[in-house]
Amino acid sequence: MKRIYTILVTLFLAATSGAQNLNRFPKPDFESGYQYPDTHYALPNEQLWLFIDIFLLVALMSFVAWAILKKQRRIPIIWVSVISVAYFGFFRSGCVCSIGSIQNVALAFADSSYVIPVSVFLFFILPIAFAFLFGRVFCAGVCPFGALQELVNIRNYRLSKSVTAVLGVIPWLYLIFALLYAVTRTSFIICLYDPFIGIFRLGGDFGLIVFGSLLLLASIFTGRPFCRFLCPYSALLSLFSEVSIWKIQITKKDCINCDLCHNACPVDAIKNPYENKVKEERMQGVKRLLMYFLFLPLIVGTSAYVLRQFSPELSKSHKDLKLYEMVMEQERNPQSLISIELEAFYIDGGNIETLEEKVGAVKQDFKFFGTIAGALIGLVLGLTLINLSLKRSRKTYEIEHGDCVACGRCFSYCPQNDFLNLKYTGK
Amino acid sequence: MEMKKETTHKSPIERRKFVKMLGSAVAGSTILATTGVLFTKFRTGEETHYWQIDPQKCTHCGKCETDCVLTVSAVKCFHANKICGYCDLCGGYYRSNVKDLNTAAENLMCPTGAIQRKFVEDPYFEYKIDEDLCNGCAKCVKGCTSFGNGSLYLQIKRDLCVDCNECQIAKVCPSNAITRVPLAQAYKLKG
Repeated sequence: MKRIYTILVTLFLAATSGAQNLNRFPKPDFESGYQYPDTHYALPNEQLWLFIDIFLLVALMSFVAWAILKKQRRIPIIWVSVISVAYFGFFRSGCVCSIGSIQNVALAFADSSYVIPVSVFLFFILPIAFAFLFGRVFCAGVCPFGALQELVNIRNYRLSKSVTAVLGVIPWLYLIFALLYAVTRTSFIICLYDPFIGIFRLGGDFGLIVFGSLLLLASIFTGRPFCRFLCPYSALLSLFSEVSIWKIQITKKDCINCDLCHNACPVDAIKNPYENKVKEERMQGVKRLLMYFLFLPLIVGTSAYVLRQFSPELSKSHKDLKLYEMVMEQERNPQSLISIELEAFYIDGGNIETLEEKVGAVKQDFKFFGTIAGALIGLVLGLTLINLSLKRSRKTYEIEHGDCVACGRCFSYCPQNDFLNLKYTGK
Repeated sequence: MEMKKETTHKSPIERRKFVKMLGSAVAGSTILATTGVLFTKFRTGEETHYWQIDPQKCTHCGKCETDCVLTVSAVKCFHANKICGYCDLCGGYYRSNVKDLNTAAENLMCPTGAIQRKFVEDPYFEYKIDEDLCNGCAKCVKGCTSFGNGSLYLQIKRDLCVDCNECQIAKVCPSNAITRVPLAQAYKLKG
């Protein structure tokens, strides 16, 4: 380690000895035998922490999967939530988290020069893999954000169906914009507008802390508002959870349609029995659905076109474009007192042509990725509408596996899961 | 005829099952494909995870003090003694154009009094940064780089930095001086 430093230092000195601001004053000739102090800077064992992070992530998710699928108990989830809030939240101060890692992965795909750290990739893929196998066990209590909301949730006031449907689109839009801004290297908006990080770090942007506190207040009365209506990772996980291999069951016995689990569910993931009253000929229904799917490309196309037209506006939040605007303004009417950005630009040589090249590339990127993002938005909106128009008959209470966050509240409410009996007879 | 009737009767459930299976297959292969594609990336480059300032690029604009997510910034002033001139009239220690060269607060550059000065021998003085007091405002760095050898510089302290996924200072740094470095060179030091 020390050798690396010495090599670096010598290289550095050799490279910079010609620089103008070095050695204006000669090295002092000490006569009193003065020794240079030994500077040593703290270097915590960061790799060890990353290792512990990953280990704990896997261990906690496996534990939740076991508790949910095998034992059907909620108590372990609460313990996992406490551990997660304490360790991932307050101790590790929330970075890097799985939600934010979406952006790193997207950037790694779009930009070949970006090297994604293995730990970040594991934070991204492991919860997805677990969701594919066991459902959203990550959301249950391993995610510090979900855990925090889970721990404060006392009452379950149900939001109306239309409100849930409209708000439920937000995570998808958030995800799409986060991807767009990540692949164009503009900003990591998921990290920028993280409402809970300020709470975990006990300080930060005031507005965001207020927003986070409001969300927490809301989650006392209704289940997990952040997970349901904001979290982009939850949108992603719901896809994999929908088709998961082992699925959560409320009871291993038959459902007796008592409505207790439906009442207990904080995230509205249990659908009640439903008799489709609108009787429609089968062929007519198929035709209707086909019509919708013919309509879908139209929505996708329109929305792709609209966002493509808006891409120059969107690209203005990129750092290079902001700088370019400033430089142009300065060139048009020169000021003597310039901003620090301009100062840095002119100190660095002030090459406008290279900047123009960069700006052009960014605009091109925004046009290309903006079109894709627009198409995806259209797809999300279209599929949501189609999904709303589909009515399926259900005979018993069914879990919507995409929405279920595996919190385990329903288990103890189900009269078929006779826990008292289990406890005392030891069956 | 009868067989046909049975299949049409059964078909909705079978179809749904089939769609679910198809979904599982797509989901599973997406996970594998993502892992596969990114696996090749891990090998091509060294992991770069830790934010550091390039002291050569830094323009000591002062954003490090204000834009870090930590309430007292993780950026501190470092001092490279080996390139320091040990001057009595130090551009990083005294403000410019002060009347009296004494240690009264109005004459000193550092707003928090984090620079400690010790007499070594005539005419040399040793300067040391008290990191608990330093807030990374870069006033001394500016002074030292403009009038001295540039031995005072800003750097991100590894034990304080919380390794945000995207460094908030890097986002606003006018000279793009903050980048990620591999753990093997956890500090970009000067001198």
